[in-house]
Parts: sequence; C-alpha cells; structure tokens
Amino acid sequence: MSLWSHELRLFLRQPLAAPLLALLLLLASASVWAGLAEITRQHAAIDRILPQQAADEAAVAAWATREGDAGNVAYYTHYATWDRPSPLAFAALGQRDVAPFVLRIRALALEGQINESEAYNAELALPGRFDWAFVLTYLAPLFIIVLLHDLVSSEREGGRLLLLTVMARSETALWVRRVVLRVGLVILTLVLPLAVGGLLSGAGQPILGMAGLAAAYAVFWALVCVAVGRFRLASVTSAATLAAVWLIMTLVLPGLALLAINAAVPVRQGVELTLAQREAVHAGWDKPKEATLAAFFREEPAWRDTAPMRSGFHWKWYYAFQHLGDLSVAEQVRAYRAGLERRNALSGRIGLLLPPVGLQMVLHRLAETDLVAQLTYQDRIRRYHRELRHFFYPFLFREQPFGPADFARAPRWRDSADTPRPPRPGA
Amino acid sequence: MMIESDPDHPLDPVIDLSGLTLRRGPRTVLADLSLQVGPGEIYALLGGNGAGKSTTLAVLLGFLAPDSGVARVAGVDPAVAPDQARRQIAYLPESVALYDQLTAHENIAYFMALAGSEPGPDIIDAALDAAGLQSEARTRRVGGYSKGMRQKVAIAMAVLREVPVLLLDEPTSGLDPRATADFNALLGRLKARGTAILMVTHDLLGAADCADRIGFLAGGRIVEEVRPAEGIDVMALHHRYGEVAAA
Repeated sequence: MSLWSHELRLFLRQPLAAPLLALLLLLASASVWAGLAEITRQHAAIDRILPQQAADEAAVAAWATREGDAGNVAYYTHYATWDRPSPLAFAALGQRDVAPFVLRIRALALEGQINESEAYNAELALPGRFDWAFVLTYLAPLFIIVLLHDLVSSEREGGRLLLLTVMARSETALWVRRVVLRVGLVILTLVLPLAVGGLLSGAGQPILGMAGLAAAYAVFWALVCVAVGRFRLASVTSAATLAAVWLIMTLVLPGLALLAINAAVPVRQGVELTLAQREAVHAGWDKPKEATLAAFFREEPAWRDTAPMRSGFHWKWYYAFQHLGDLSVAEQVRAYRAGLERRNALSGRIGLLLPPVGLQMVLHRLAETDLVAQLTYQDRIRRYHRELRHFFYPFLFREQPFGPADFARAPRWRDSADTPRPPRPGA
Repeated sequence: MMIESDPDHPLDPVIDLSGLTLRRGPRTVLADLSLQVGPGEIYALLGGNGAGKSTTLAVLLGFLAPDSGVARVAGVDPAVAPDQARRQIAYLPESVALYDQLTAHENIAYFMALAGSEPGPDIIDAALDAAGLQSEARTRRVGGYSKGMRQKVAIAMAVLREVPVLLLDEPTSGLDPRATADFNALLGRLKARGTAILMVTHDLLGAADCADRIGFLAGGRIVEEVRPAEGIDVMALHHRYGEVAAA
C-alpha cells in the first residue's frame, strides 16, 4: 500500500472529509445541470424562432404586399436574429443571463432596438446565475479552506505533530503530499461534472482550458491556506483568518474595484441612447423633407437620383430620417461601446491582481459569454440591419413594386460559421 | 546478534552529546551537558521539572539547536541534518496521540510507511504482541483506546523501526505494573539487539530496574551518575533524587 493510499484512507476517514467532497460534487453537478438546462432552453427558444418567423412573414406578406409598397413591408416585418450559446456556455453563463440572445429587428432606426432591451431585473442580476463558474469562483475556495485550514494545526493540537515529524522521512514531502491530495480531490470533484457537461454539450478540447483554470485556482487557494498556516495559528484562528481573506478577495475588493471602475469610466446607459435616438427620429417628422433627404444622400449617395418628393408622406423620406436617427447617436454609441470596453479592460487588469475576478473573466471569455461576445453579436446585428436596409432601398428609392416573391429574397440571419449546434437531445 | 555493553570499554557511542549549552532568553537550559550512550546500552535520565530532560530530547530530535557543543545521533548532527538524524531514531513520546479514525494496525502501517517501511500484518501483529496489546483490540479504531493501549501501539512502532537509537519520554507513565514489567522486558530485548536507549523518566524504580546507567540532571547538566548493576541502595538513591530534583 503506497503512502498515497495511506494518506487517502486517513483523509477520507476524517469525519468531515467525505461529506464535504460529496457536497462539493453535488453543488458542481447541480451547477452543470442548471447550466445545461439554461443552454438547452436558449437553443430551444432559438429553434422555435424559425417556424414562427415564417408564419409571421406569411401573415405580413398576405396583406402588406397587396399594394406592392416596400415601405409597408419593411415597417411591419420583424426579422429574427439570434446568438447561439457556445458549447462551453453551460459552465459560465456570464452575460447570457441578462443580455438578449434573440432580437427581432425591423429596418427602422436600429440603435433603439438594440439598446431598449437592455433593461433587466437588477436584483436578479446581482448574484448572477448559479453556474459552474460561480461554484468554482466563490464556493470552491471555502471548501479548500475547510480542508486545509488546520492541516498542521490539527496535528499540533491533536498531539501528533512531534511523532509525525520524527517518523516522516521528509517532513516537507509529508505536508506537500497532504496538500496535493486534498487539492487534487477538490479539483477532481469540480472537474468531473464539468467533463460530463462538456461531453453532453460537445465542448471538446476547450473544456481542458477550463479544467486547467480550475486546477490553477484551487492551487492558488491552497497556497493561501499554506501561507496562513505558516503563522502557526490555532485552527479556529486560522479558519477565521482564511474566511476573512476569502471575503475580502472574492466580495469586498471586487466590489470596491467595480465601484472604482464605474466612477473612473462613466458610461451612459443604453436606455439613454434609445431615448436620444427616438427623439432624433421623432424630430424628423418636423424637419423639412428636402433637408432630411439631403442629409441622407450625403451618407447614401447611391439613391441621390430618386424621384423628387411629392408633398405628403413617402416611405423613402420616412426611412431616411430613421437612418439619420441612428447617425445622430453614432458618436454616443461609439462612446458607450468604448466605455464598456474600457471598463472591461480595467476589469482585466484588476483580474491580474484579484484571481477571482481574473478567473471569471477568462472563464467567460472561454465560454464566449462575456462583453466581447455580446458586442460581437451586436456588430453582427448592425451588419445584418445594413443588409436589410440595402435590400429595401431599391424598392423605396426607385419606387419598385414589392411582391410576395421578393419576400423570399430578403437577407436571412445565419448562424455564424463557428456557431455550435444545440446540445444533444437529453442534455 | 546479542550485544553486551561493557561499561569500562564502551563501544563508539551512538548517542553522543558533548558540551551542549542551550539558552532560552536569560535562562540556561542546558549547561555544558555531555552524555554518551553506546549500542546495547540503556541510559535513564532523571531530573525534576525544568531540569532539561525534554530539551535534551528535542536537541537529539533536531527541533532545537544548541548554542554551543555538538550532538550526534549515529554520527549525524541533528542540528545540521535533522531528517537524516531522525531516520536513526525511534521515539516514544510521553503522551501518545494517534489517529482516532484508524485501527492500531492502520496507525502502525501509516506511521511506518511515513518512515519508509512497509511491515506486513504478521509483523505488525508480532510487534503488538511484544508490546502487549490484546489482539481483540487491534482491529478497533484507537479512538476508544486508553492511554496505556495507545502507549503500547507506539511501543510496537518503536520496536518495528529497527533503528540504532530509541528515545523514550516517560515511557511507562500510562502503563499498569504488569505492562511496565512487560515493557522493561521488551527494552531488554531491544538492548540485546544493540539499540542505544535514552530514557527520560521520573520513575526512579523503573529506571533502576532496567537502565545500565542513571544520570541525574539538574540545572542543565548531569550532576551525578550511578550504575544500578554495581549494586545501589534504592532508598538512598530515592533520597538523593529528591535532593537533586529539589535543587
């Protein structure tokens, strides 16, 4: 029987060891299950869009094309966009629990459509989802602390330290073996459910990155425990000290850092953009049509030769001031985005100092559920919206009739080339 | 092989303390202490509280380094190479604490594995026989053991170590008279095996029963040494011990 087997038996016979590991395994498994359920729900929601979209379009086409007016069609037709979760998203849901992953847009002013859906229940968003990243970042350190806080002090208090020291061929090897065993079991307990989740979601090799991060994070907390242990504190004092370190590193300092970042990089809320854009669009009704169209043609010179406007309403004027509404807030949109990216970058720097922050950022990047992924989705929506506008512009500015057959030629939102398929049935 | 120690012509000492001085703040705990124990010899170190008995053991185990003088265990200086020195030592602490969640067998197997040895169940049983632990207790977890039973498990471990030096700290304090007699007999067998045994004790009668030499420690130095084999008046010895301890 090897020394490792002896240590394992000794460890597992401790009254709290096996129940603690079982509890951690249960929490990690539950978090993976919850993550998979959420991702399956999101895939299912996306999958439900296509037939509903077809039915919606058929209904609009039935009456909106009767007069052959593309303006009517563009106004009443909603085009579906979606952002499928990555195979690793189940482990770290990140922004996906608050940011929309489905957005039906029209060829009207876009920024309001993107940003008006930003509102969410702040109280629900504050704790975040119960996912594997949460278990790893916040709960796993507590388990490591419980298992390691009295590594040496329990032997000292139990009167065995002297005998252990005298008997061990290498005292250092003894403690290293015990730390490695405990941390190894914690890592195994965390990674096993992750691996099962990865298999079910088809995550493949990238899951190894997350497993590696879990191992590195567990080792970090083990080193913190060892460092505190070097002060030769009593077990109770050691536990209290480590609990304080956990509180400060995972909650207090990240919270303060968030406040500091928000103060250092003020960012206007998305809803303000929506409001500003709406006001610009509504003001378009009162502006001279010639001035509106002249401004539009400076941006879209290809339609400059359109027939002159008659008095009264015309869709081309309407879509011109819709687009000008977007352009009027373009600078604010750039500033908003730059602010978000600046905050993200600062969070990344803080993550270098605060492992819990850094860990979450890397996990969300690996899972493609972070701000970058959210902004990428928005960029794809903007490109798609531009395609839609340019699909309708010939009908509007050249006043071509729009028939039912034209519906089929409208640009369609596509899964990006690297977009994963839904999890396997039963996941 | 039986080794008979010859007090007049000692073999090279296995435990060798030469001019050890150790201070703790203003207090001198060991003052030029010199002591040699040869192979197959039992040396009992007696002294009152604070005489320096435990400190002497701590120096031999490498937990304390002397301010001056040299300690050697089987030729190894514990202050320089504590791990190497400890590999030469079996140690029996005064209060034996084991892992309550393991049986006697499992405790011994674990501690022996730490020491780099893997005795089989039969060998462990033989050692427990020698230590006098009843067989029906061996498969029970030691959480329910009495102090004496724990002591016997530790004695079995010391027997199994098969190292040249055995350090004993009040070894019979938890044992009943019969177990004490058994223990003394066991020491005799270890002595015959060539083990150098240094025993720190308050038990003058026990020491007189099994030790080759008895040293009285006071103020960090040996103030008197007697050889029970030369025939001593135990009552006079007791009286002298009382004087030394009081001093």
